[in-house]
Amino acid sequence: MKGGGLRLYALIYLLFLYAPIILLPLFAFNSSSIIAFPLQGFTTEWFAELTGVEALHGALKNSLFVAVITAVFSTCLGMFAARAGVMHQFPGKGPIMGLIMLPLVLPEVIVAVSLLVVAINVLGIGLSLWTIIAAHTLICMPFSIAILNSAFQNLDASLEEAAVDLGESRWSSFRLVTLPLVMPGIIASTLIAFTISLDEFIIAFFLTGGEPTLPVYIWSLLRFPQRVPVVMALGTLLVAVSILLLTIAEFYRRRGVRRSGQQDHGGFL
Amino acid sequence: MSGPIISLTGVTKHYGSFQALQPTDLDIQSGEFFSLLGPSGCGKTTLLRTIAGFETPSGGVVRIDGADMAGVPPNRRPTNLVFQSYAIFPHLSVAENVGFGLRRSTQSKAEKAAAVEEALGMVGLEGYGPRPTHAMSGGQRQRVALARALILKPKVLLLDEPLSALDKKLREQMQGELRRLQRQVGITFILVTHDQEEALIMSDRIAVMFEGQIAQLATPEALYRQPDTRQVADFIGVMNFLPAQFVDGSAEIAGLGRVDLPDNEDGSGVVGLRPETLQVLYDGADAPARIAEGDVVEVTYYGDMTYYDVRFDGADKPVTISMKNLAGRAVLERGARARVGWDPRALVVFRD
Amino acid sequence: MQDDTRRGLLLVSPPAIYALLMLAAPMAAVLLFSFWSQDFLTIDRTFTTKNYVEAVSDPLYRALLIRSVAIALAVTVVTVALAYPVAYFVSFHVHPSRKSLWIFLITIPFWTSYLIRVFLWKVILGFNGVLNSSLLGLGVINEPLTFILYNQNAVVITLAHAFAPFAILPIFVALERIDRSLLEASQDLGESRFRTFLRVTLPLSVPGLVAAVLIVFIPTIGDYVTPRLVGGPNGLMIANMIQTQFLKLNNAPLGAALAVVAMASVTVISLLFIWLNRRNLRARR
Ligand SMILES: Nc1ncnc2c1ncn2[C@@H]1O[C@H](COP(=O)(O)OP(=O)(O)OP(=O)(O)O)[C@@H](O)[C@H]1O
Ligand SMILES: [Mg+2]
Repeated sequence: MKGGGLRLYALIYLLFLYAPIILLPLFAFNSSSIIAFPLQGFTTEWFAELTGVEALHGALKNSLFVAVITAVFSTCLGMFAARAGVMHQFPGKGPIMGLIMLPLVLPEVIVAVSLLVVAINVLGIGLSLWTIIAAHTLICMPFSIAILNSAFQNLDASLEEAAVDLGESRWSSFRLVTLPLVMPGIIASTLIAFTISLDEFIIAFFLTGGEPTLPVYIWSLLRFPQRVPVVMALGTLLVAVSILLLTIAEFYRRRGVRRSGQQDHGGFL
Repeated sequence: MSGPIISLTGVTKHYGSFQALQPTDLDIQSGEFFSLLGPSGCGKTTLLRTIAGFETPSGGVVRIDGADMAGVPPNRRPTNLVFQSYAIFPHLSVAENVGFGLRRSTQSKAEKAAAVEEALGMVGLEGYGPRPTHAMSGGQRQRVALARALILKPKVLLLDEPLSALDKKLREQMQGELRRLQRQVGITFILVTHDQEEALIMSDRIAVMFEGQIAQLATPEALYRQPDTRQVADFIGVMNFLPAQFVDGSAEIAGLGRVDLPDNEDGSGVVGLRPETLQVLYDGADAPARIAEGDVVEVTYYGDMTYYDVRFDGADKPVTISMKNLAGRAVLERGARARVGWDPRALVVFRD
Repeated sequence: MQDDTRRGLLLVSPPAIYALLMLAAPMAAVLLFSFWSQDFLTIDRTFTTKNYVEAVSDPLYRALLIRSVAIALAVTVVTVALAYPVAYFVSFHVHPSRKSLWIFLITIPFWTSYLIRVFLWKVILGFNGVLNSSLLGLGVINEPLTFILYNQNAVVITLAHAFAPFAILPIFVALERIDRSLLEASQDLGESRFRTFLRVTLPLSVPGLVAAVLIVFIPTIGDYVTPRLVGGPNGLMIANMIQTQFLKLNNAPLGAALAVVAMASVTVISLLFIWLNRRNLRARR
């Protein structure tokens, strides 16, 4: 068969990619408190334990708060940037867009350190969930823009002009024509930004004040071997939620592509 | 009679340092079918969008029905535009598309629905209202775009190459329908096209544009018979250009000999002859005004027509002659000698 | 000014101002900060280069920096080399209607909790880990492999996993852009499939490769989770030290200087890489 060897390689590679995710639920339902093979018996004990941890609920609430606001901010700012980038020409476009997309390649620790210095030493406002939100918005924005870019690229620029020509104002044209057509992109962007923020640790760890987010809380648990099975259970839930959200996001992204009658080229980026 | 419906005075447009429109004056009368014709990039779309209000002119005045349009946005202008891509809203049904512009009107729901149905009827899409638009063919989308613009009863309908995305058959059919529709509704149509044949077929008057400038504005017949410049002549149909020397009210034309052409200053120039004004002479043909002889250097057979390239004795370049393929008339072969009749009244003189 | 230009600038300004305030200005602040000094909690604002002197001359920091760059390079090579065939497979051997499914499958793990994924690599690679117990069980090895956890190999494997989609996507996009008739033309002109790959496909996918290299190499330097969890004492990287300086030792100016040095190193290497690549391309023309 054509590409047979390559196909095998690709499948093994997929296995490599999914290895951690596949193992996660195995250990989460394993009755041994030591994370190793062979597996012992089936238990839902670790999941039950999750419900009783007060600190976990606080962390979850913090994370949800951060992720929701980040998703909204990043998608709103992304809308501005994507629309400007796709539909307009202006001087300095390259450098400006470059700056906005920079967090995509920037080491996260640099973003973390920069904002830490500003929050503590320059502004002296201290750390709170809002410092995390500020940073997460910054790193999610490029992803939102990438998704929304393809939504706007699929949009015929004359559609909005046609609405204006038929008597609508600029704003109502946007609302009646553009917004419904890029809505799948908006939903996908919101979900992706939410997922990134929910799972982000490197920056959150630097910028967390008194209230830890979920990953920061998980990090603190990892130091105690006897708590690791609980982390596995928590991780299983987290990964399940992420995959669910991503699948929904992918569904909307594809629907957006289909709705505008374009060829699907795949992928978020 | 009232003034022109559209009146441009000294309208210019530049993008940065690039001048897309040279100072342009243009009057278009009410009820006219007017075409803007020119090669790609000559500024037709720019001119049309300036009238629609999507481009702000860099200088000059645009008047519609006597009113200065400076500062009037597209949604307040009594014009509607049919976009080249049709710009059909993909998330709305046919009826919602056609009724889009009625959202702000004070009509009742029933009145709006009736208006939509009437507009659909006008373009031959009765009963298509509830359908989604993505399944429609190019021709149908074109009709939806037309109905959507016409439902607002604009004073002027602007069409930017509305037929260029259609295949040849459909395009020819739509050309006829557009013409009929324009007569029926009596609205001024301004059509942008780069297809000279389309402009000739459809228009009352045509403005030919080159490089941001109107080179000639005339009826189709005048444009074809009396092009002002070689450029216009070359763009509209086929024209043979022959070098000529003008002396004392007559001209010596390479390969054709001397003809009387009064009112021309002495000097060198070029004369033009359309291919159909020349004819290859077969035995028994009526005696034409003038006869020239030459060699057939190329024969192109089109079915209904044959095009001969004939080099007249004493000329450098061949001229193209088009002949109807009538019954019993043999097609000449390449290399044959040809006697060609022509008429000095068909000559067009270009002096630059 | 043109309407279009004005509107574009107006639209782009909210995200641009956000990026300026939250990224450009803070990075400038870090730069400034790195020239100050800190004694416990008080900041001394006199200009000094002592942080840089320390960052470059202290053998510990120097070793960390060199190791970080070396690991980042290794991760880049491994990730891109492993990723290329997958991108090639999806682009050339997967039916167009299923491409986006493959890409989706490849990106999913990337979006799920990073922390948990890294931790599971520790579980997989550990002494009693999944890999060792499976290999022992299968009789492939007699005693557990030890070279795969708490060292730099573990860091490279784990990061190669983390950055996989980042490498696959740009290469995939570049491969997708290649006009398929070029390949047929090449074979028509007598080249074998493999030679066609070398002479047509590979050169045309270079932009994707370059993007993949940069997008893996640069962020790798900023990771401290993987080295901490699977790296062991000899697998720590510069980001761990930056973290320590900021969060444990309260020496933010030194941490800032280390961050600047790390960032400067990857930037210089990246620019060098881009420059070499450009020159190489020009030499071919
Ligand atoms: N927004 C713009 N910025 C810069 N130049 C422009 C812009 N819009 C048009 N132009 C230039 O102005 C010239 C005229 O463009 P226009 O679209 O009016 O041409 P056209 O006659 O409609 O051509 P076509 O037949 O290809 O549609 C072209 O050279 C084009 O490149
Ligand atoms: Mg045009």
